[in-house]
Amino acid sequence: MDRIQRITFYILILIAGAAWVFLSASSTAQTETAQAPQTGFTAPDFSLKTATGETYALSELKGQAVLVNVWATWCPPCRAEMPAIEKMYQEYKSQGLVVLSVNSTVQDNPLEIAPFIKEYNLTFPILLDETGDVTRAYQIRSLPSSYFIDRHGVISEVIIGGPMSEALLRTRIEEALK
Amino acid sequence: MIAAFQNLFAPPRHMILLVAAAWLGLTLAEKRTEQHGVSKDDLNNLTFFALLAFIIGGRIAYILQNLPAFTKSPLGIISINPDLFDPPGALVAGIIAALIYGQQKKILFWNALDSLATFFAVLAIGLGLSHLAAGTFFGQPTDLPWAIKLWNAQRHPTQIYETIASLLTLSLLWGSKPNPRPGVFFLYFASLASFSHLIIHAFRADGPILFNGFHLGQIIAWITLATSFVLLESRLSDQRLTSIVE
Repeated sequence: MDRIQRITFYILILIAGAAWVFLSASSTAQTETAQAPQTGFTAPDFSLKTATGETYALSELKGQAVLVNVWATWCPPCRAEMPAIEKMYQEYKSQGLVVLSVNSTVQDNPLEIAPFIKEYNLTFPILLDETGDVTRAYQIRSLPSSYFIDRHGVISEVIIGGPMSEALLRTRIEEALK
Repeated sequence: MIAAFQNLFAPPRHMILLVAAAWLGLTLAEKRTEQHGVSKDDLNNLTFFALLAFIIGGRIAYILQNLPAFTKSPLGIISINPDLFDPPGALVAGIIAALIYGQQKKILFWNALDSLATFFAVLAIGLGLSHLAAGTFFGQPTDLPWAIKLWNAQRHPTQIYETIASLLTLSLLWGSKPNPRPGVFFLYFASLASFSHLIIHAFRADGPILFNGFHLGQIIAWITLATSFVLLESRLSDQRLTSIVE
């Protein structure tokens, strides 16, 4: 190709590219309103009971920032991040943070849960996912999995794996509280 | 099959794909680096220092943007959490480190980029696969027969489009005859990569949207494509380079 042919080729490609940008603009303007366990989606709703029989429903917590942390007693990173979650809960609960700590009971030993709560002096609600419905709805493939949900019920951040440090929790909580 | 792949490389294991791609990319780039006038040692050292700066720079940039959080929890600075990371800051740090190393070792700028083009092309394949494993970079809902189920909807498999486009880019680069004009090989890669992103970003559902529904990723890809063409033409028609080649 000589120089003129090359420049003609570049211009044609750039014009076609610009046309593609314009044509695809309207179709990309749609927003995700469905429920899914991913950043930008409405958090899948659930209702679970604690060991003492209290019921917590995610949909009833609109207007508050929520941290949903899914864990199991046998999971070392889950254990390691619990003190940091408790500390952040104490620090931010007055600003509207709710921690829903979901034990994936379907893959845990229920007898280990009470000693676990006592060992780490956990004061936030520990919900029992006995049927695995939440584990499935949140498509949990690794433990721990944490979902930071903003005041509108939209997931602002997903952290898979752990342990989460205090600094990480702090930055993500402050973002969800905005 | 996709579900099995996503289970196998579920986050945070999806990072393994990026590490494997970086290793494979560097191995392939090494095979041709001397054709581009850069020794294997220089290529390895340049990549090592750039990656090191990328990792450290990404953390430092994140800390600087969230200083109050780290003032209250200073141990977080050395935390192993990969989420305490700022990718744009990391990129800037990596580029600066590569430029400094290149200048000290007198590696010519365009030759270094030509040498790294294969590395970038393989890394792009790893990035596409890691997006597929993590479920990020996901597509808009569609009822096309090749749609994949992701985030409770049938969607464009944008991660697979991205991986296939990156594989094609690598094949075209690997199959092409080396151009003696420094920079041309890298600019071919940049043109192909930005063109494929310009097309694929249209099907994405999770990218930032600008005014009137324009996709930021597409705008950036178009600007990169235009810049690549301008630089490519300037390299191809540079009389000084032509006389060197002849």
